[in-house]
Amino acid sequence: MTGLHDISQLHTAGHPVAKGQPILELRGLQKKYGAVEALKPANITFLSGEIHAIVGENGAGKSTLIKLLTGVIRRTSGEVYWCGQSVQLATPTEAIARGINAVHQEVVLCRHLTVAANMFLGDEMQANGLMRQRAMTDAAQAVLNDLGFNLPAAALLSDLTIGQQQLVATARAAMRGTQFLIFDEPTAYLTRQESAQLFRLIRRLQNEGVTIVYISHRMEEVFELADRVSVLRDGTHVGTRLIGETNDAELISMMINRTIEQIYHKEHLPIGETIVETRGLSGPGFENVSLSVKAGEIVGLYGLIGAGRSEFALGLYGRQPVSAGEILWEGQKVEIRNERKAMDLGIALAPESRRDQGLCLNLPIGLNINLPIFDRLTSGLTINRRREIENADKQINDLKIKTPTRRVLASAMSGGNQQKIVIGKWLSHGAKLFIFDEPTVGVDVGTKAEIYRLFARLLEQGAGIILISSYLPEVYELSDRLHVFRQGKLVASHTYRSASHEEVLTQAIGV
Amino acid sequence: MSVETTTETALVPKKGMNILFGLILLGLLLLLWLLLGIFTNSFWTPNNISNLLRQGAMTAILAVGQTFVIITAGIDLSVGAVVGFSSVTVAWMLQAGVPLWPAMALTLLVGVAIGAFHAFGIVRMGLPAFIITLATLTSLRGIGLLITNGSTISISNDAFTDFSRADFLGVPSLFWMVLVVAVPAYIFLHLSRWGRYLFAVGSNSEAARLSGVNVNRTIYLAYILSSTCAAFVGLLLASRIGIGNATQAEGWELQAIASSVIGGTSLFGAVGSVHGPLIGAFILATINNGANLLNVNSFWQRIITGALIIIIVYIDQLRRRGAR
Repeated sequence: MTGLHDISQLHTAGHPVAKGQPILELRGLQKKYGAVEALKPANITFLSGEIHAIVGENGAGKSTLIKLLTGVIRRTSGEVYWCGQSVQLATPTEAIARGINAVHQEVVLCRHLTVAANMFLGDEMQANGLMRQRAMTDAAQAVLNDLGFNLPAAALLSDLTIGQQQLVATARAAMRGTQFLIFDEPTAYLTRQESAQLFRLIRRLQNEGVTIVYISHRMEEVFELADRVSVLRDGTHVGTRLIGETNDAELISMMINRTIEQIYHKEHLPIGETIVETRGLSGPGFENVSLSVKAGEIVGLYGLIGAGRSEFALGLYGRQPVSAGEILWEGQKVEIRNERKAMDLGIALAPESRRDQGLCLNLPIGLNINLPIFDRLTSGLTINRRREIENADKQINDLKIKTPTRRVLASAMSGGNQQKIVIGKWLSHGAKLFIFDEPTVGVDVGTKAEIYRLFARLLEQGAGIILISSYLPEVYELSDRLHVFRQGKLVASHTYRSASHEEVLTQAIGV
Repeated sequence: MSVETTTETALVPKKGMNILFGLILLGLLLLLWLLLGIFTNSFWTPNNISNLLRQGAMTAILAVGQTFVIITAGIDLSVGAVVGFSSVTVAWMLQAGVPLWPAMALTLLVGVAIGAFHAFGIVRMGLPAFIITLATLTSLRGIGLLITNGSTISISNDAFTDFSRADFLGVPSLFWMVLVVAVPAYIFLHLSRWGRYLFAVGSNSEAARLSGVNVNRTIYLAYILSSTCAAFVGLLLASRIGIGNATQAEGWELQAIASSVIGGTSLFGAVGSVHGPLIGAFILATINNGANLLNVNSFWQRIITGALIIIIVYIDQLRRRGAR
């Protein structure tokens, strides 16, 4: 596969299946882990050159399906036909050799290598046993330019945003003669612009004859991109629809047996006293931010990733030093130098990344839930075992965390349940101001609805909420006040539903 | 509790696993003792058992301290050097006429200071634990050799040197020292919130920080405890051999790490106990003791220790992969 790195040539040359004919067929494909059926026997046909979306809640079997198709795990039973032939797909190497590839939500590339080195990783251009660095950089740059990405091939991958890294991963897959490309929630961490770029790339690949499988939680993306859509629920393939013959209400009811109105649960409560106010707060990544949160209201912070919302939250929480401005807590000027101080005032933070900031993944659920309150559970020298157990079990019951016991490791939980653990941590601690940073990323629809109802409960109890989200419908539908961030600054504020989606988006992008 | 009733065997609760693992270790230790009893005449003699307990005791105490550090996903390579340095410190002070108890207390304080220095290097200077403790490993040996001018300081305080030879209730006093360390260590690690914080920091220090755990203080605590345990072992060693010598206890850091790892501590952090390393230390001591009795070249003991580390860590890896 060396030498030929012009994508258009790769895909048009010798394509085995005519457009619109089945390229990949699953016949009774099944996967069991012990007694658990992660994927019940599924019959799905992917047509050559189509964009086929797969939707379903977390744990519905989407990742199992991807892993089966990319050779990461082996099936329990059933058959897979690739271009009309039965294939094993026993290893990732086999899948890639056949032209099946995946772009994952979390980028799996080498952060310390350059963009070009990553694109050629495992397939380097060589001359006399030495790498041809410059030729590779030039070739990579040519591909990037050709795709319309404004990215330098010589830059280190770690200098790029996650969104840009995702584009590099896609370009890498595109370069390798991929005929069947699976995208696993690619836009979860992308900005609007980056998403648009990615969509252009996906359409372009489709035009070149590549079959695309697109997995996403976001309905509008599915309707924007896909030709057909398959729905999974609890490991079962519920059905496949032509995109023109369905609508999001039908898809959602197929996914969850619930109607769309039930998802965004919003109660308007009487607004109380101001809990916190910032005046001209500045710090690393945010500048001159003035806003306030009152009891009983949700203050939404919307913006692109990197707009300074999370940084502002970390500043308010004492994790990052504040360089200028002041914080008033219930009318009193305070300095929040560390996280403990913030907690003692009554601030709780459910951070952006569950994996990196939210949870101790290889520790039990119970320990995670109790982590902020071990000082309260201690009597004398030792922890009161009984209260420790009671509190953990109470949160597990109240939040309906799906686990047999509090001793199961947090890493064994799905995204939605992990988010509940993070929330449970702060419910047991208690707070007046809850900051939720991207609380529903990677969370299934059912759990989302539960989280929104929980917001309402917290507000009823007199708390205030800062809700940070890159998903506009979420902040739009839930916020009593919506602040728009752009490049570290608060650029616009709206009351509940007082601006249109388009208006808010325009302010966030800044065109 | 209703949640407890669901049966899901795929996700093995941690606690049952720990007890099972502890029992397997204990069984392994007893098996070794049984086999050595069958294949040698001299294993089950009072003299040999006392000897085994004395040697195992010192490794066990080092291993407990080391375990605190490893649980935070760190490593303390300096403990062997701290043992040697502490033997010099106490011998030097006794020679200078410092009374026994202050001399011992000051030696332990030196241990505290060394641990604090390690944590300072990690927390404030941002050095990897591996580097800062490796640096003190060589420096402390050097300082000890400078103090003694390359020779040894003999200890003439009989009360001090008699201690290690004494028995209490028929068991060597050195072995009792294991309990003196292990009981508070158990309470600290398994029953107090500080223990929970060690695990949390080892698992994900950012999540711990955002949950209000003082991460820096936790790291200070772990390294100070490790170095203090090592200084304590230095006192025991000085008492046992009656001299202060900076080159003593060479390679003990590896013995301590091996004991800890054999005892189920994960070098990736957040997994470990107090009882595991104790049993691990006596397994290692038994292997060394048995090798002596069976006239196996002592160089083999080093090879066996190395092989054991590889096997145990490999098994640990497999176990984690299986758990996922």
